[in-house]
Amino acid sequence: MTTQPDDGRLRLTILGGYLGSGKTTWLRHQLFEGVFGEAHILVNEAAETPVDDTLLAAQSAGLTILAGGCACCTGKADLVAALRALCDARSRLRPEDRKPGQIVLETSGLADPAAILNAIGEDGILVHHIRVAEIIVLVDVLNAADQLRTEHLGRAQIEAADRIILTKADTVPDTTLATVVATARRLNPAAGIMAAVKGQTFPLDGLPDASPFDLPVISGSSDPILPTKIDIGEDVDWATFSVWLSALLHARGDDLVRVKGIFETPAGPLLLQAVRKSVQPPEILPPEATPRQNQIVFIGRGYLGADLRRSLDYFTRL
Amino acid sequence: MCNACGFPTRPGHWTDAGADNAGDRLRLQLRRAQILNKILNGFGFSARPPGHGPGFALSSFTGRTALLPDLEAVWDEAARQLGHPLDPLDPRFTGSPEPAP
Repeated sequence: MTTQPDDGRLRLTILGGYLGSGKTTWLRHQLFEGVFGEAHILVNEAAETPVDDTLLAAQSAGLTILAGGCACCTGKADLVAALRALCDARSRLRPEDRKPGQIVLETSGLADPAAILNAIGEDGILVHHIRVAEIIVLVDVLNAADQLRTEHLGRAQIEAADRIILTKADTVPDTTLATVVATARRLNPAAGIMAAVKGQTFPLDGLPDASPFDLPVISGSSDPILPTKIDIGEDVDWATFSVWLSALLHARGDDLVRVKGIFETPAGPLLLQAVRKSVQPPEILPPEATPRQNQIVFIGRGYLGADLRRSLDYFTRL
Repeated sequence: MCNACGFPTRPGHWTDAGADNAGDRLRLQLRRAQILNKILNGFGFSARPPGHGPGFALSSFTGRTALLPDLEAVWDEAARQLGHPLDPLDPRFTGSPEPAP
């Protein structure tokens, strides 16, 4: 990950994963180890009665429960209100008392992290106060096969992740673990994958080779998701590229799982990141931190990588 | 919102990044209108800077003109009038290496 300067915004980590994938267990352990520092924890439960709060309250700087509605759809307004309240409280502090803050949002098992990312990006206040640092998605290796075969949501969660953590890794043989890893890689080639047992995270080494699960079509497109890296020539300027990319995301946004890269603009090198149709507000990187090279990675399905290049060439030549 | 420069505004469209002074913004807007027209003309549309702030004025061949705040709104409006989105991966943009004028 690129290290980014502290711009005064709160860092938000979104923790997602299917029902029962071990989100609270994992988060509890990370809090105990101090990974998130003094983070404020937001827990979203789709059900009306929260249960997890008692487990988490002990180790966090503050805890807010959003019960009764999944934050990516019915509970979106509650989530935005809760995040605004946190921003508000922080803005009231004197500048010298303001510490670089962190928020961890534990989503409900039914949430699509990409939708939450969208909600924050669309909010005129939050976008200036909160920066989404990472989307971590937990996958339960015991049940991954069933979930990914039948549930669109399970796949969408993996596709949106920056980091995937396979939980309950000790409950299955290495061969199964390797298959889940291969499946997750196919769904999201860009994310880092780690394993965890009872909240303790460890890297995955020395797994046998395995081929991914056979994932049947659930709805719409079944093509595998493939990464395409495009080196942008010097003749492509930011005006051309941004017009082209905005048209592409508008027409193909649902197929483009992720777009990520650095583009040189008149204002400096810009870090571009998109999850489906939503583009995070691009950040300008310090000029010396990045090699001067325009490279964009497209991860998606339903098109030929070569067509992306040809189409961009066409608009550049015009 | 300031009428002359459109700032401050709602969180900018991501394409607004990349220009941090008024000169760059204006240059970018004019250049974008050029590129936009290359895509849009084939579909009977044309776009120009509206002359008083950010965004574009999108005209269809009937003369109907809409003022739109950013590129995304331009694509939305064009798709609404056409009945399908303008796809940059359309064969006419990827197929022949030497497209007909």
